[in-house]
Amino acid sequence: MGIGHNTIAFHQDKCDGCGDCMTVCAEAKSGTTDTQHSRLKIVPSVAANDSFELAMCRQCGDPKCVLNCPSGSLTKDHETGVVPWDQEKCVDCLLCTVGCAYGGITYNAAAGHVMKCDMCDGDPACVKSCPTGALEYNKSAEIYNNYGELEDLFVPGLAACQGCNSELLIRHTMRKIGSNVVVATPPGCIAGMGTVGFNGKTGSKIPVFHPLLTNTASMLAGAKRYYNRIGRDVTMVALAGDGGTVDAGFQSLSGAAERGEQMLYICVDNEGYMNTGMQRSGSTSFGSWTSTTPVGETLRGKTQDAKNMPVIMMMHNCEYVATASLAFMDDYYEKLDKATAAAERGLAYLHVYSPCPTGWRIPPESTNEVCRKAVETNFATLWEFTPDEGLRFTRPVDNPLPVEQYLNLSGKYRHLDDEQLTHIQNSVKRKVAFLNGFMLATSGSEAQMQ
Amino acid sequence: MPDTALTNEPNSIVCDGNEAAAWAVSLAKPDMVAVYPITPQSSLVEYVSQFIADGKIDADLMDVEGEHSVMSVLHGACLAGARTYTATCGPGLYYMFEPYVRTPGMRLPIVMSVVTRDGLTPQSVWGGQQDAMMLRETGWIQIYCESVQEVLDSLIMAFRIAEHRDVMLPVNICHDGNYLSYGVTKVILPEQEMVDDFLGEKDTNWHVALDPDRPMSVDPLTGGEGPGGPSTFVRYRKSHCAGMQNALRVITETHDEWERMFGRSYAPLVEEYRLDDADYAIITIGSMSGAGKDAVDVAREQGEKVGLIRIKTFRPFPMAALTSALAKVKAIGVVDRSVSFAWNCGPVYQEIQAVLYQLEERLPAISFIGGLAGADITGEHFARVIESTGKQLAGEMTEGPVWLNENE
Amino acid sequence: MEQTKYLIAGSSHAALSALNSIRLLDQEGSLTLVTKDDRLPYSPTVLPYVVSGQSKPEKVQLRDEAFFTKNNVNFISGSGLEALDADHNTVTLQNGQEWQYEKLLLATGASPTIPPVTGLADTSYHVLRTMDDAVNLNAALAGAETAVVLGGGLIGMHAAENLIKAGVQVTIVEMCPQVLPGYFDPQAAKIIEQTFVENGVIMRIGDTVVGAAQDGEGSKVSLDSGDEISADLLLVCTGVAPAISYLEGGPVETDQGILVDDRMATNIDNIWAAGDVAQALNFYSGEKSVGGILPAAVEQGRIAGMAMIDDPAINLYPGGVPLNTYEFFGNQAISVGISDENALPEGVEVSLNVNEEEMFYQKIIIGEGRLIGISGINTNFDPGIMWQLVLRRTDLAAVKDEFLRNPVDTGRDLMSRIWR
Repeated sequence: MGIGHNTIAFHQDKCDGCGDCMTVCAEAKSGTTDTQHSRLKIVPSVAANDSFELAMCRQCGDPKCVLNCPSGSLTKDHETGVVPWDQEKCVDCLLCTVGCAYGGITYNAAAGHVMKCDMCDGDPACVKSCPTGALEYNKSAEIYNNYGELEDLFVPGLAACQGCNSELLIRHTMRKIGSNVVVATPPGCIAGMGTVGFNGKTGSKIPVFHPLLTNTASMLAGAKRYYNRIGRDVTMVALAGDGGTVDAGFQSLSGAAERGEQMLYICVDNEGYMNTGMQRSGSTSFGSWTSTTPVGETLRGKTQDAKNMPVIMMMHNCEYVATASLAFMDDYYEKLDKATAAAERGLAYLHVYSPCPTGWRIPPESTNEVCRKAVETNFATLWEFTPDEGLRFTRPVDNPLPVEQYLNLSGKYRHLDDEQLTHIQNSVKRKVAFLNGFMLATSGSEAQMQ
Repeated sequence: MPDTALTNEPNSIVCDGNEAAAWAVSLAKPDMVAVYPITPQSSLVEYVSQFIADGKIDADLMDVEGEHSVMSVLHGACLAGARTYTATCGPGLYYMFEPYVRTPGMRLPIVMSVVTRDGLTPQSVWGGQQDAMMLRETGWIQIYCESVQEVLDSLIMAFRIAEHRDVMLPVNICHDGNYLSYGVTKVILPEQEMVDDFLGEKDTNWHVALDPDRPMSVDPLTGGEGPGGPSTFVRYRKSHCAGMQNALRVITETHDEWERMFGRSYAPLVEEYRLDDADYAIITIGSMSGAGKDAVDVAREQGEKVGLIRIKTFRPFPMAALTSALAKVKAIGVVDRSVSFAWNCGPVYQEIQAVLYQLEERLPAISFIGGLAGADITGEHFARVIESTGKQLAGEMTEGPVWLNENE
Repeated sequence: MEQTKYLIAGSSHAALSALNSIRLLDQEGSLTLVTKDDRLPYSPTVLPYVVSGQSKPEKVQLRDEAFFTKNNVNFISGSGLEALDADHNTVTLQNGQEWQYEKLLLATGASPTIPPVTGLADTSYHVLRTMDDAVNLNAALAGAETAVVLGGGLIGMHAAENLIKAGVQVTIVEMCPQVLPGYFDPQAAKIIEQTFVENGVIMRIGDTVVGAAQDGEGSKVSLDSGDEISADLLLVCTGVAPAISYLEGGPVETDQGILVDDRMATNIDNIWAAGDVAQALNFYSGEKSVGGILPAAVEQGRIAGMAMIDDPAINLYPGGVPLNTYEFFGNQAISVGISDENALPEGVEVSLNVNEEEMFYQKIIIGEGRLIGISGINTNFDPGIMWQLVLRRTDLAAVKDEFLRNPVDTGRDLMSRIWR
């Protein structure tokens, strides 16, 4: 198979139409500030006032402009991913523009030929010029390129449910971290899907074990201390659910954090005991249906907010604390890098929001969309913390969508009434306000989220 | 304590049982000691911590947030290859219970002192064996000490027993709270080099490991109805039982070797005191045995043909040794420092019933319960025990249990 | 007998597009590409530029040998299909080789049609369909002072422009009342014709050649109007027709071209056809017609390749839409869809914006709120986006005013919203 390529992503909600990107593009590519020469075009949207859309080359994997070109002047460079245009060979027939559905290759009347984006050799000028972050250089493809060839450290055919976010997470995570590890998968979905195996057969290619639900961090701490004692550098990894983290496993984790035990602790938060029949946990969100917070005549789901575990871990002053969502894989990989490094100095804690198709009543194919909407509504915020740098939002959402747009995707919220919705929206705002305040206090940054 | 104390043989010091245990730990050289304080164990872990602070023990000190984590960190370390030690009792033991119960299933050769304590409720911080007796069906090896010297010697032997490849089971060395934990006496310290020779290289995770060089799944789900499930589970259970039975032999061999190297002799499983010509016997466990032996001596002087049977190894249960001892007498009295609520007797008494079934002739027996929550079992108490036990020979029976401290 | 899993006859846009689709899913299956040309693949569209010398034959290759090696393709050039035995899944090549295939794509393109003009067969003339034609014509330019181009279609117009730029006096004879029929309406065609006239081309529109004869080294044609024109070069560009002679007498169903369904499948199992040779659905009429335009060949080839490999992502062929981009004397003429509302039923809305002095012309036809066609000269819209709006039958009712005023930005806005 081929390799993946980085792309320029457009966050329409952040674009204010300033046009700096076009000016910079024209300058970079044609030496003029005349935006007629810009390879990308910001256009006003007819749909809404002060709303803008983008036309630019998507550097298609199977570009029709290339197939349409009769003179061989357009090609697909499978190394860089760019569709370069060779003016030498071009006969100005414009057939390429027929092939493009995005307005990505267009005729420049002033120049007398077509023009298109060439990604500035991997350092796009437009992205750097964008003052609002509407243009983003998305490096997700590097994940595929860099890690796609690495060995999957779990066996095929783990018995996770269809659309399981946790399986995606553990395969990516261990592929990246590698095999010089000891991995703890306490009782829960990750163990239940067979990572530790059944009756003498294993589900992993690495040292892996069932700790108790209650002692994951302690067992890892003991193993790590001994490896340190004998001078062996082995990384300790916990792949735990929220029950084993925020509830029964909390004490051992808190103790390990306080002592600065060296490990990477990943909490895969699917907001309840999904493996055992979808019961409520301390991480279950307000209003959620679970099998122990059912919906009936008098009860309407959970009546308390979830324990804010990542903040609690931040208050332990861990070496590294971050939240993540697999809808933002590049963000997760960056954090995984930092967390793995921090786990050699002390406790690194990653809290991954992990929708559960089975327990949340969402179609399996929607898992990633639910992940995404959680972030876009600020229901789940993406940030990282170190004692030195303080707190920082890694993917700030400036114009959060109403939280209903997230809640509506999951059956577990189907019964919510207006009062409950208001409660959840207010609690989202309160959590963001707290993080903003904490960020100001710890990092001095005033780049607050709305 | 002079620093040279460890190197001049014979080397006697004066200390209590908790300090003796700490000296044993220093001689056994564990890689990791996990500690959490609880009365009457606290001074033990304080001694160990101080020894580590002073460099007398080269071990990782895991001062964790509770007994649950105490045992858990030892699990991790042991699976990585470490020799490990801890101590606890009473409420701490109950809190540790989840990982504690798991330890023998994983066949981890962890050594732990139980500084026995009564309770939990009514609240009590004093000695009594209710905590240790609760551990009977957890699959650990359990050895009960009589003296401070025996605490020290048994604790060192415990590592060799636990790590023996025919055994691979965790060992509890039980020494009674108050009596042994705080009782001060002269103790001889073995020479370090000889202890090193005696214990040999640590050998804790050849069979199960968390090691990237030997990747394996540790403790996958086992059993269920699927093909191979029941038989796999049964295989684990049978192997565990076999390890326990092997331990009877290994404990005996280890005590023999100890006597050969260090000159001190203990009955490894069951001690018989003035039993050979006895008509009847009292049965004891733990530190009360000293007072019991004194009482036997006094009774002998008065012409009573009484002996004493001390159970040292309670798990595995020394059925053969006890059968052989009981075959020598015609009546028995069993003194417990704890209660079997359901059987309305002491737990040792309850188990002795099973030994009686092995004998050709049925023996009369009485359950005595004393020394609860730090109460003394004095010579006077034992005199009553001996008297009641002996009267059975004349057909005068006593219905148990007899609560020795009932009127104090 | 040689064997191959995929056999593709032809090597131009439809063939290469199909190859691309197949290799996306199957990198291993044996794939053989056969072509009558003894060259690496090229596009007929580029030939006028070779005639003028703007492009060199070796510079306009669509793929090189490394491509075929890398993609595990057995490329056989210089030997097209001679015969097809569909009963036995075999073909015979012009070089005598027999090949057995599992799946066959016929992308053999079209050949020039030669009008039944008296004397033409005995007169030396040029056509422009192959690279050899282009090279020959380019060579003939040396020493030529005059030329007559029969046909005011795309090839003829392109050729005429390139000839006059090469210093040759050119006359175009087109029997229709306008040039470029089907792509531009008479008004737009008039602007284009005028530009040619201004650049020195003699335009004989609405006139027909009735006779031809050899005239020394050159030729002489007589017109219906009675005029006679002598020229050093005679170029016949009166259209093309699917190249299907090798199918004669066989079971593959043909009309003007090879009849295909919406997966480019012929009536015979395991045989598909795409590109100029195919007679496929027309988007507007719902009938099957031959097209002969490059983007349609690419699209048909893509679908045929996907069908051949059972790609589940296949979308059925939505039907051909007239598409044209045409550059002439530095001006751009573009048309997407229907350009002449007179061919349409009543009730369509036509927005016309013309400034002949500025050489500006733009016509948008909207029916039932949907875009039916957009064409223009020196206008600025994205034909790829317009094609999508037509195919998707995008409802423009909410944005119609903006669209008519500024089809570029509105089109980009709509597409950005769809694809974001």
